[in-house]
Amino acid sequence: MSASGSVGGTARREPHAPEATLGRKADYLHADSTLRSWFLTTDHKRIAILYLASITGFFVIGAVAAGVVRLALIVPNGAIMTNDTYNKAFTIHGVVMVWFFLIPSIPATFGNFLIPLMIGAKDLAFPKLNLTSWYVFMAGAFFTLVSLVLGGVDTGWTFYAPLSTAFSNTWVLPALIGVTIVGFSSILTGLNFVVTIHTMRAPGMTWFKLPIFVWAHYATSLIFLLATPVITTALILLIMERGFHIGVFDPAYGGDPVLFQHLFWFYSHPAVYIMVLPGMGVISEIVPAFAQKKLFGYRFVAYASIGLASVTFFVWGHHMFVNGQSDLASLVFSALSFAVAVPSAVKVYNWTATIHKGSLRLDTPMLYAMGYIGLFVLGGLTGLYLATLAINQHIHATYFVVAHFHYIMVGGTVLAFLGGLHFWWPKFTGRMYSEPWGRVSAMLIFIGFNVTFFPQFILGYLGMPRRYATYPVEFQLLNVLSSAGATILAAGYIFPMLYLVYSLWFGCKAPANPWNAKGLEWETGSPPPKHNFLSPPAVPRIPYDYPIQAQEAQDQHG
Amino acid sequence: MSKGLADGVGVARAGHFETVAQQRAAATLGIWAWLITELLLFSALFLVALIVRIQHPEATVAAAKHLKFWIGATNTVVLICSSLTMSMAIEFSRIGWQRAMVRAMLATAALGGLFLVLKGYEYYADWDEHMMPFLGSRPFALAETPPARLFVNLYYVATILHAVHLFTGIALLLGMTWMAAKAGFLSRHQNWIEVYGLYWHFIDLVWVLAFPILYVVNR
Ligand code: HEM
Ligand SMILES: [Cu+2]
Repeated sequence: MSASGSVGGTARREPHAPEATLGRKADYLHADSTLRSWFLTTDHKRIAILYLASITGFFVIGAVAAGVVRLALIVPNGAIMTNDTYNKAFTIHGVVMVWFFLIPSIPATFGNFLIPLMIGAKDLAFPKLNLTSWYVFMAGAFFTLVSLVLGGVDTGWTFYAPLSTAFSNTWVLPALIGVTIVGFSSILTGLNFVVTIHTMRAPGMTWFKLPIFVWAHYATSLIFLLATPVITTALILLIMERGFHIGVFDPAYGGDPVLFQHLFWFYSHPAVYIMVLPGMGVISEIVPAFAQKKLFGYRFVAYASIGLASVTFFVWGHHMFVNGQSDLASLVFSALSFAVAVPSAVKVYNWTATIHKGSLRLDTPMLYAMGYIGLFVLGGLTGLYLATLAINQHIHATYFVVAHFHYIMVGGTVLAFLGGLHFWWPKFTGRMYSEPWGRVSAMLIFIGFNVTFFPQFILGYLGMPRRYATYPVEFQLLNVLSSAGATILAAGYIFPMLYLVYSLWFGCKAPANPWNAKGLEWETGSPPPKHNFLSPPAVPRIPYDYPIQAQEAQDQHG
Repeated sequence: MSKGLADGVGVARAGHFETVAQQRAAATLGIWAWLITELLLFSALFLVALIVRIQHPEATVAAAKHLKFWIGATNTVVLICSSLTMSMAIEFSRIGWQRAMVRAMLATAALGGLFLVLKGYEYYADWDEHMMPFLGSRPFALAETPPARLFVNLYYVATILHAVHLFTGIALLLGMTWMAAKAGFLSRHQNWIEVYGLYWHFIDLVWVLAFPILYVVNR
């Protein structure tokens, strides 16, 4: 831990950093300030900001619903709200968080902003399509919000048939339409990224000079392209069945409900990697910057991204071990699920090895990154429990599952999101945030998260099922603990919203490269000019060209 | 692709691309990626239809025999012809024969329209035969076995989805024809015709897959 200083949020780490070289009017934020120039922009950086604002809004909605769920579970007998309200609360929470926050979060905001900068391009390949995808996203959100305003949905975020098609009396149809539409937005984003990464790289930016962030988004985009259409089919079928009685899932129409689960999880397991891969990309940028050390095993990390994206298509059956699939199928899916652990572990080892003997600075982004690694390891290991057939019989559909996927998805995505937000905030906005407040909130989130979700592993192991509003009295202590943790967690989320917004007006001006980080995005001004670079950037000799490169020799043999 | 173009035919470079070749490469890769997602959208349906057929041969064949084979077959021919006219439009665009290109595009749109008319007539005949299980007012008249119903439902979902694609395709094509008729179009946007052509062939391809799976197998 060298020079982490006292003054909150200045360019203290590198006193001689060049001032942003741009006149105020030239940067992308101030180039034009009419509303029209924002809502009709084709600048990938502005579109990223549009997404950032909308996604933050959805996060708040999802978080309030989570608060309602945790409130209900303080008492065992369901006295605080009706079962109906409870069902709607956890459904809103799941639908909004998964479909409107977690999946688009990092790709649509950081991916949009950074990919062209990182590969030295002026924009994404299809700027108008990029704007379109934001409008498509908002249209989907509109339908989902309509269903909430009209009275909510009670099917859970998974929309299992035939509950969603025949039995639920709530506003399932608008919610389904919203989620279907939002899928097109991800497809368009993924398509834009794939084409951009293939065709828009600056001369000299070869595949193995790309930052891992770009590799991770490439892998994620492949999942967007190859998995999303399948869930779109499934959702279209649900809409047809509920709206027009053209059924293929409900046995009453001759259909098969398990078919829905196959189609659903064929997308939704890969979707969990849509959520974690971009997070891994973010962590792979933060860790080397705050260790000032070359990323250990660069090529392995890149391959692991593609590896994860491929294996993830073959494990969906682990969500259906107890739904009557054949023993052989269960066995195969179990074994394949274990295989997922290999590329995941590769990533964790590489981050750890990068930290080892680096010159470590524990600033806010790094605190988030360390938290991320811890939570991801615990989430991943418990995934192995779930993938073990015999153990799965016991903990399937209990709070153990809830804890597992929160460790992975919230731990994995939200911490990476916040870490990345702090890391690139100076680049996005041209301002520094308050470092002490940043550290306080990072700690609060880590503590709050563990107090909230660790008890749920125990609850699940003891047999508390998920998605019930009531539970036996002996589970109350752990539930109260979990709800208390959620309060700490909420504080941890509110602080960043306050000090980040404050910094927009009152933060110190950010230099071009406040962290002494490598990567083309740091070579241009903060905030960058409208067309990203004033002169074509020089592509570095090697990726992650940090001062400490002890491992370089090994890498080249690796 | 960029070679073999006549004089005065080409693409205007958008500001964020460095070269025209880069712009063309991006457009081509983009449309192929989109077509793959579209193919996946349909393939889940086709796969399920095939599985139902393999698992319940008698029930599905009994239901499939009620599909209007001759309408389906005619429509296959109509769409293949439309692909031909679309290919001609692309060739004309490359050699700079703008009027011929516009006519070929109009012919393509007309053939697409003919397909929709025939398909509409087929749905009418289905309705007449009490074949639409989702219409409470016209009780389903085919064998009421679950696999038969499942198959018939899949038939409707797949063909409606295809018709929606075709409808969108015709609308886009007409819009583009209107722009393409203006002077100077080919020197700026020849690429659009190429890219759009791939989309049209795709719509055709989906039908060429759907027709045997739904109408022909086991007939
Ligand atoms: C190390 C690799 C992983 C393995 C072996 C694994 C295994 C499993 C298994 C077997 C289940 C089913 C539990 C049940 O319902 O019986 C499950 C559930 C789940 N996993 Fe994982 N998992 C892994 C990583 C992940 C990751 C990285 C994510 C997310 C990014 C994730 C998200 C989920 C979710 C959301 C569920 C709950 C589904 C539901 O029932 O609603 N898992 N996991
Ligand atoms: Cu899974």
